[in-house]
Amino acid sequence: MDLLDRYLEAVKKHLPWQRQDDIIAELKANLEAQLEDKEIEQGRPLTATEMEAWLKELGAPMMVAARYQPQRYLIGPAIFPMYWYVLKIAMFWAFVIYAIVSSVKIFAGDFSNGSAALGAVLQTPGVLLTTAAWVTGIFALVEFGVSRSPSKCGPFAGAASDWSVGTLPLVGADLRAGKKPRSFAQAVAEVVFGFLLLIWLLLFPKNPWLLLGPGALYLRASPYHLAAVWVPFYWCVVALNVFQLAWQCVNLMRGRWQGRQPAQSLAIKTVGLIPIFVLFQAPGHIYASLTNPAVDEALHGAHLAAINHGIYRGVLFGCVIVGLQWLWEIGRISLNSYRKRVAAR
Amino acid sequence: MTLTENLFENLRLELRRGCLTLAVLAQLRQEYYGYTLRKALAERGLDIDESTLYPLLRRLEAQGLLTSEWREEEKRNKRFYRLSDDGARIFAQLFEEWQAINVSITAAINT
Repeated sequence: MDLLDRYLEAVKKHLPWQRQDDIIAELKANLEAQLEDKEIEQGRPLTATEMEAWLKELGAPMMVAARYQPQRYLIGPAIFPMYWYVLKIAMFWAFVIYAIVSSVKIFAGDFSNGSAALGAVLQTPGVLLTTAAWVTGIFALVEFGVSRSPSKCGPFAGAASDWSVGTLPLVGADLRAGKKPRSFAQAVAEVVFGFLLLIWLLLFPKNPWLLLGPGALYLRASPYHLAAVWVPFYWCVVALNVFQLAWQCVNLMRGRWQGRQPAQSLAIKTVGLIPIFVLFQAPGHIYASLTNPAVDEALHGAHLAAINHGIYRGVLFGCVIVGLQWLWEIGRISLNSYRKRVAAR
Repeated sequence: MTLTENLFENLRLELRRGCLTLAVLAQLRQEYYGYTLRKALAERGLDIDESTLYPLLRRLEAQGLLTSEWREEEKRNKRFYRLSDDGARIFAQLFEEWQAINVSITAAINT
């Protein structure tokens, strides 16, 4: 009996205080009746070892007590799908924003300082964990409120019964092209405007005012002129436009204007990386130079260095943005391709 | 325990969970206290652990499906349970549902 009392006392410790005496009294009556049956069956009282084995069979006191509690969730099944969805989005954007901010801070600071980059990488798990903790905490509070006052809380977003099929996200070609597939007229207009843009670009070297406006006159009158790196950059931009225009024409002729193919989209974004990297690779990071160095060096040399440094930072920032866009596209296409493969199995 | 055995065990427990409630409600059309109810169900081939049955009785009572009273029997105070009026109505509906499921599954197996 002593062992049974000790067992019941251990169970009692884990029960809610308002009901613990009542539950223990009932459990004791049931277990004593069961024990009596066992003793009648064996014709003798149970030995200490048998008693221990029997109580062990009943389960650990904490687990037995837990069965008397209502099911508890930090985040319950009604809210969990929305929590998971929000968590994934929050983690992704936390990572992207942190990556951009860290890159800018590193490049704007001491570029050669490798420890700054390492520090940013090492801090990434902390940033993600903090984001996850905030999202989890907020949803745990929502769960707390919903479980205590279900009548006051409406159905959670995404779980409401009044959802409409018409509001579901678009898929496939519809998604890529916006609300509806691109029309033939839209595709033709894109080719025409692409052609006009190409002409405008080709006219630019001899007519800089087409791009710079009155700034072209100021540039001519100033002691500075554009460095040689802008020539390959310009031709890369022209080549990119020719490439894109040619592809659009081919699509138009083959009747595939309704949506852009993933491979095409990726190819254009990949080729689009070339001009910005040409600028980034400028020898000595020189983007502007003095027209008459011998005359203007003393007066404008310091300004020139500041201008080149400013342009370099801008180019660097552009490289980071374009690189991230490209990685995003790769990730998106890989994910879609993976999902298609899984769906096809 | 292998992965398959573990999977089977999980599915078996899931299948039993709803059936146990139905069995308890069916048995409690007569009055029982915890231990004798457990014995009665075991005699009909349905073994239920103490740690599952006794809390289940409490939950069903809290949901209004059972009524209970403390009474002395054989010099010991025991809590006796029986089906409430609401419990009897819900049991009838659940039993009908269970029979329909049984018929559907049997038909599916025999096709």
